[in-house]
Amino acid sequence: MTEDARRARLPGWTWPILLAGALAIAVLVDGALAPGRLEVANPDRGAADDLATALGALPEDALVLVAMDPDLGTYPEIRPAVRAALDALRARGAALAVVSFTTEGRAIAAAEVARLQSLGVPAERLLDLGYVAGAEAGLVLSVTELAPAEDGDVPASFAAARRGIAAFDLALLVGGVDLGPRTWVEQVGTRLPELPLAAIVPSFRYPEVAPYLRSGQLVALVGTARDGAAYASASAHSDGLPSPTGLLLGLIVALAIMLRAAWGARLPDLDGPTRDAERAP
Amino acid sequence: MPATIVVLVGLLLIVNFVVINPLLAGAAREVLRLVVVVAAAAALAGVLALVLRHGTDVWRGRGDRLGSAVLLIGLGAMLAAGFYPGSAGAADPAVRWLVAALLAPIVAALFALLFLSTLLAMHRGSTLRSRQVTVMLVAAAAVLVVLLPLGGSIGQGLASAAGWALAVPIGGVFRGLLIGVAIATAIHAARILLAVDGADD
Repeated sequence: MTEDARRARLPGWTWPILLAGALAIAVLVDGALAPGRLEVANPDRGAADDLATALGALPEDALVLVAMDPDLGTYPEIRPAVRAALDALRARGAALAVVSFTTEGRAIAAAEVARLQSLGVPAERLLDLGYVAGAEAGLVLSVTELAPAEDGDVPASFAAARRGIAAFDLALLVGGVDLGPRTWVEQVGTRLPELPLAAIVPSFRYPEVAPYLRSGQLVALVGTARDGAAYASASAHSDGLPSPTGLLLGLIVALAIMLRAAWGARLPDLDGPTRDAERAP
Repeated sequence: MPATIVVLVGLLLIVNFVVINPLLAGAAREVLRLVVVVAAAAALAGVLALVLRHGTDVWRGRGDRLGSAVLLIGLGAMLAAGFYPGSAGAADPAVRWLVAALLAPIVAALFALLFLSTLLAMHRGSTLRSRQVTVMLVAAAAVLVVLLPLGGSIGQGLASAAGWALAVPIGGVFRGLLIGVAIATAIHAARILLAVDGADD
C-alpha cells in the first residue's frame, strides 16, 4: 500500500461510529423513505393468530398466570409482543398474576407490573407474586401452592391461586433464560395437561420450543421478532417495534462485510496496519 | 452418603410422579421445599463468595481492581435500594429505576455490540482462508438475506424461506443437540440412581 493510500484511509475506530450514526439516521427517517415497501412483520400471521385465538378463547374474568422469565439482553426483541398480549388480556378483563422463577425475569417483571399499574389496572385484577426460588423445584412446588395461604393481601379474585398453577385458565410464558417454556412443558405440562400454555420467546429459543407447538403441548407460540411484530401490529400495540429502515441498513452492512470476507478479499481500514508493519523500515 | 441421599430423593420424586398417594405427595412436597431452601442458600453463598473474592482483590490491589470495585458498588447499590427501611424489595421504585435505567440498557448495549464484534471476527476469520470459515460466512449471509425486512411478494418469499430455515435445518441441528444432551443427562442420572461406581464422583 502506498503512503498516499494509507493517509487517505480512515482510522479503524471511525467505522463503528459511522455505522452507529447511519443507523441512527435510518431510524429517524423511518417511514419517510419508500413507505410500505419495508415490512418487519411476518406476512404469515399464523403464529400471531394462534396467540390471539388462545387469548380470545378465555372465559370472562379469566385467571391468567404470566410467567415472566425473559433475559435482559433479548427482551427488547419480544417486548412489543409481550406488552400487546398483556394489553389484550387487560382489555378482556382478565385477572393477571405475575410470577418469576429467575432473578433476571423478576427484574423485568417488576417493571412490567409497574407499567400495568400505571395504565390503571386495578389491584383486584393484578397480583404480583414476585420471585419463586428453587428453579425447577420451585416450579414443581408451585403446581400445588403458589399464592401464600395466609396472606391477607391477596385479592378475592385471586383466592383460587392458593391452589397453585392448577387454578389458572391459561399460563402465558415469557421465555428467554434457561428456565422457560420447555421447562414448563416438562415440569408443569406433564402434571397439568389440561392447562393451556402459550409462549412468547426470542428467536434463539424458537427451535427449542417449536416442537411443543406441533405436539399440542403449547397452544400458541410467538417466537421470532417478525412474529412478534405481526402480533403487536395486528393488536394495534406497535410501540417499540424495530425500525425497518434501520434493520435493512444494518443487514446490508453485515451482508457486505460477510460476502467480501467470504470471497477472501481483505477489507480495507477495519484493522489498520499491524504493529509489525508499522515498525518495518 | 451423598449418592444415597440423591438416590432416595430421586426415587421418591419419581414414585410420586407416577403414583397418586397423599402421603407420598406430602413427603415429596417437603423434599421440594428443602431443595428450594438449599438452592436459596447456595445462591446466597455464591454472592458472599463473589463479594469476598472481589473485596480481597480490591483490598490487596491485585487483578482488575476497577472492575472489582464497580461490581461491589453495583451490588451495594442494588442491596441498598432493596433493603433500606420501608423498601418494597424488588418492586421498590429505586430497584426498578436501577434495573430499567441502568442494568437493562447496559446489557442490551452489550448484546448490540455483538453485531460489530461478530462482523469483525468474521472479517478476521476470513484471513485464515479456510473452507470452514467460508462455509460459515456464506451460511450466515444466506440467513441475513432471508431476514431482510422487505414488503410485497419478495418479502413474502423471504419470510417463507426464513421460516423454513428456522424450522428445518436450524431446528434439526438444535433438536439433535438437545436430544443428545437429554440422553447423556438421562444416562448420568440413571448411573447416579443405580449407584454405578464412580458416578457420584
